[in-house]
Amino acid sequence: MKALKVENINKYFYDPQKFQVLNDVSFEVEKGEFVSIIGKSGSGKSTMLYLLSTMDTVYDGKIHLNGELMTGKTQNQLAEYRNEHLGFVFQFHYLLPEFRLIDNVMLPALKLGKKPVEEIEDKAMKLLEMLDLKGREYKAASKISGGQQQRVAIARALINDPAVIMGDEPTGNLDSKNTKVVFDIFRSLAKEFGQTIIAVTHDDDFAANCDRIIELKDGKVISVN
Amino acid sequence: MGINKKIAWIHLSSKIRQLLVAVLSVTFGISMYIFMNGFMSGVNKAQTDIAFTSMAHLKIYNDLNSDPKPIEVSDTDDNSIHIVHNSKNIRYTEGIKNSEPILESVQNYPEITAVTEQLNENVFIRNGVTRINVLLSGIDVANEDRVFGLSKYMTDGDLFELEKRPDGIILGSKLAASLGVTMGDNINIMTADGIAKNFKTIGMFETGAVGVDKTKAIISIQTARQIFSKNPNYATEILINISDFNKADELAEKMAPTTAFKVESWKEGNDQLDSANQLRNILAMAVSLTILIVAGFGIYNIMNMTVNEKIKEIAILKAMGFNGGDIVEIFLTQSIIIGCLGGLSGVILGNIISRIISKIPFSIASLTTLPIEFNRMDYLMAFLFGVIITLIAGYLPARKASKIDPVNIIRG
Repeated sequence: MKALKVENINKYFYDPQKFQVLNDVSFEVEKGEFVSIIGKSGSGKSTMLYLLSTMDTVYDGKIHLNGELMTGKTQNQLAEYRNEHLGFVFQFHYLLPEFRLIDNVMLPALKLGKKPVEEIEDKAMKLLEMLDLKGREYKAASKISGGQQQRVAIARALINDPAVIMGDEPTGNLDSKNTKVVFDIFRSLAKEFGQTIIAVTHDDDFAANCDRIIELKDGKVISVN
Repeated sequence: MGINKKIAWIHLSSKIRQLLVAVLSVTFGISMYIFMNGFMSGVNKAQTDIAFTSMAHLKIYNDLNSDPKPIEVSDTDDNSIHIVHNSKNIRYTEGIKNSEPILESVQNYPEITAVTEQLNENVFIRNGVTRINVLLSGIDVANEDRVFGLSKYMTDGDLFELEKRPDGIILGSKLAASLGVTMGDNINIMTADGIAKNFKTIGMFETGAVGVDKTKAIISIQTARQIFSKNPNYATEILINISDFNKADELAEKMAPTTAFKVESWKEGNDQLDSANQLRNILAMAVSLTILIVAGFGIYNIMNMTVNEKIKEIAILKAMGFNGGDIVEIFLTQSIIIGCLGGLSGVILGNIISRIISKIPFSIASLTTLPIEFNRMDYLMAFLFGVIITLIAGYLPARKASKIDPVNIIRG
């Protein structure tokens, strides 16, 4: 079963004038793969990622995640699906600043509500430890450094053991040391836990070390290797 | 505690000052609502109390029909004609000749709290050269006090003295002043039929209704029957008080078929009193609702600001799988907490303000302090209105937040 299957995606922007962002895009991603989507700015790579994330639902074509057709689901169904099966890491961490680290990490699991709170807390502690944030669990999210915040955001993306983790320039805002940390985390997630990782990036080093690169240009896939 | 409520609580508690401002605006609105309504019903009550010192809820009297009746002409004989000069309208019966059956029949209505009979006639009072037209009221002292609470309004002397003193008279305070008499002075009464009798001033009253205080004199009903040469059960009117004066109309309708006399509710001919009450209520409602709506705008504003401030958090919550309903819940919970806190403190503050105002001296007519009513319904309504308005004011920004498209926000 493919982790991701995209069929003949077309997407238009209408503002300020009609413009085709994605032109008949199709590709597949295997389970446990670590894939980068690259391309110049305006190539449609971020737009592609937001379609994959199920947050943007206005497009022609079909998107399957883990063999399930996403196209045509209602907003609430998609929200539920995102909660359970998808994890996001963005360029900016978007943590809830008044919440402690541990609360931020627990948030998606509390929303899912499938496990008792103690178990969720335990898991959040382990994730924070894994991401080298041990001892800072009860600090407010606004009181730690940018690199640390990004790692908290990753922990938050992992709390529900999502099948697919998506990153939009996940290292775009980090220095080279933290970039390496984040990359290594992704690497090991894909290898050890079989989680599929799809990251949009313009960092060539980051992309070069992935399993596969999908390159977009003017809304078309120009190379998959 | 659900995760949505937890987020709502953290949003609120991280901005204590903003929370305080929002709560205070509701507090103020609700306390004003309570104060305004309490004050207005206090004024209404004082107003009706004064009116009912000289007016009963129901009045039964002989409604004399004074339409001149045409004289009967029978055309039996073609050769004769009838000529009537100066036709006069004759009153066959005056007043209520025998009040006994009516007084007995009203005992059947449980809502009636007090009944009394009066004999009212216009007379002249003379004191030396002063001569004043006065309404002389012969009263059944004990029952009169039950209906009107007259003894409360006595400024001098004892009302119950009348029962023992056939020569005693009690005057309205302003009437006594214009006659120039004080306690113990003698005055002379002259009826329309030319009968004169001396009375001794044994008391004075002041109801606060100037028209009454200036023109009314009171004697006992037995004495009145004597000087007007009436039989022992004669009365000009029977006055009835009931437990809820607003139901006077219904009772009047119910009693009307049981007697030949006119049964009149206080509302007939006193529309100004009723309409003034209604207008004051409308005014109080309008002012206090306006204040509550202004408070609502305050909450709307604050919640809108919060939503704009947290727009990125909302986007990320949606990305993580919170749906529109969750977002509405998060922000609506905040409004409800603000509404309930503000409602509770508003009810308390409203009560405190009312208590303080009700102690302010205000001596006009029979009032000693500003009149304020403490009506449980007002407090309930104030709380309810406050919560409803915060709900509406909070729902609009919450709905806006739920419609945020996370893609637009996160992509920047």
